[in-house]
Amino acid sequence: MSELESRLLKTGAERLALLGKHAERLMQGYTRDDVPLDGLNDSALRKLLAARVLWRPDEQSGVKLSPKVRELIAEMLADETRRHVNADVAETLELVRSLVHSYREARSRGEHWRQEQQLLRLRQEVDDLNGRFADAIDSLWQRLNSDFGFVSQLSDKIRENDRAQKQIVRLLDGLALIDFDELIALVGSDGSLRKLLISQLQQRLSHHYTSLREVQRRLIELMARFRKQQARSRLISGMVAFMREHPGFVPSNYAKRSDVPALFNHAAPLNAAAAPALDRALESRVLAELLHELPTPRHAAQTVESAVPAFTPEDNLAAARQQALKQDVERFYLAVLDQPPAEPISALAYLYDSHLDWPDEIWLFQVISEYQGLPRSEQQAFRLHQDESPASPFNDLRLIHDVALAVAV
Amino acid sequence: MIEHGPLLERLLAGEFVCAVSDDNAFRHLTNDETRDAIDDYLRPLNRRLASNDEGSVYFLAWRQLNEAAREQLSRQLSDTVNSLLPLLEWLQLVQEALGRDTLAAPGDVLKPAEFSAKCEDNQSLRERLERLATDSFFGSQSDQLDAQVKQLFKRLKEHGYLLQPHTERQVFVVTGKIDYLIEVVRFIRDEENLPIDAEREEGAQEALL
Repeated sequence: MSELESRLLKTGAERLALLGKHAERLMQGYTRDDVPLDGLNDSALRKLLAARVLWRPDEQSGVKLSPKVRELIAEMLADETRRHVNADVAETLELVRSLVHSYREARSRGEHWRQEQQLLRLRQEVDDLNGRFADAIDSLWQRLNSDFGFVSQLSDKIRENDRAQKQIVRLLDGLALIDFDELIALVGSDGSLRKLLISQLQQRLSHHYTSLREVQRRLIELMARFRKQQARSRLISGMVAFMREHPGFVPSNYAKRSDVPALFNHAAPLNAAAAPALDRALESRVLAELLHELPTPRHAAQTVESAVPAFTPEDNLAAARQQALKQDVERFYLAVLDQPPAEPISALAYLYDSHLDWPDEIWLFQVISEYQGLPRSEQQAFRLHQDESPASPFNDLRLIHDVALAVAV
Repeated sequence: MIEHGPLLERLLAGEFVCAVSDDNAFRHLTNDETRDAIDDYLRPLNRRLASNDEGSVYFLAWRQLNEAAREQLSRQLSDTVNSLLPLLEWLQLVQEALGRDTLAAPGDVLKPAEFSAKCEDNQSLRERLERLATDSFFGSQSDQLDAQVKQLFKRLKEHGYLLQPHTERQVFVVTGKIDYLIEVVRFIRDEENLPIDAEREEGAQEALL
């Protein structure tokens, strides 16, 4: 192992360890604007800056995570809001070309070790390129499968979907940059280069291409669904607002048009009713069975003897008084009939004259109800005059003071 | 035809059949031959099979429109128009209460308990629910939140917008009739030229492929 290589290993491992040592602080920097510096000593800060884990845009501003570290964290967390998609094909191709040239140079000079080194770097570059496509595609699938669940608003989802579609277009543009005719010319007859840059790469890239097309198709479908949902929400809120503003709104009667819109032609319900039929001997047995299976109605047995109407002495008394009142009123009606026609008798005067002991109110009430209880033809034989007045100037309730009854002429 | 007996009965009873309300029947109905067979069967009853534009829900239409049929359709249209505002307000209320970013769509699961809990915690939702529940379409007589929510779900189930897979469990599924309702709204908007925000081109995205 060369000295250069061992120094590289040592420094790299030290700097990677910095990430672990300051993990919490770096994560705070990931979620906020700046990396919090309290409790961090100068030498540690210097190390972090030297390793390009952190950077300071200018003297006045705070210390921030470097873009690469931010990207690494986003990648590790599969944080789809911040994951970057960047295949950067053009630069890789540039690098591949120059590596191939120096590889062939080393081979023609017989420098085996350098040749091996160049091949290793070529392999790493091709792997990186593949990895970047695979990562980008993975990130796209993640977003798609979660229905862009990392943002809550539909409008944000539409924007995120749009962004993802643009990324796909860039990735596809990147893929289109890779010209296999050029690569074939570049590698010539070298077996290991041919295997690495032609057969393997082509196989993988065509796989990426298929995946990208598939994601793109699904994203477009999803976008159409998002848009449809958005259109629905708008339609409904628009209609609600309109109907609230115009409470009397009635659309025209589509059912009266010569051509009724299909949507409104919904036929009246029809009940497919059926009743037990006894005209088939076979079925009557089934019906009989069904009848037997009916649950017996649960009526408690009633003892007939106890169902005799019960009278209380008070009821008897009240009924007797009612009967007496009725008879007295009938006598009053007979007295009216004995009078010459058209000469009214006051009900109250009759009550006092006859020394009956009914309260005035009850007496008047019964006289009126007797009149109203008469058949229409007999009612016409009498004239009932009510002596009444309003309860007060402001109340139209009418109080009856007396009634006078006469035989109609 | 025998195997479609129960389906025919439901259609004749005026039901809307969608993939949510009857997955199996719906699959049969997407088959042209089955649809033709059912249409033939329905001919003497002056009915035919119809669907919404999207083809997500099937129902029966009159084959010949006579005076009585038009009379019935007019009455039905006026019922639909009268129930439109409460139904759309309910859709909005559900969306807001459950914090969803889209309107309830066929297949969505709704739980009255969750809905009550969200409305209970929020005075403005509570008031809107109260107003909606006492609307004559929903007709709740109660001033208790739970009873109002129960009445709302009950009426929506009666009208075929919701389905309750298990009678003893308070879980409801939105049916395809919601699609029908939204198409009705869209139709009225277009037909009456209502000044409602025009939708964006829905087909533009698919056209890209």
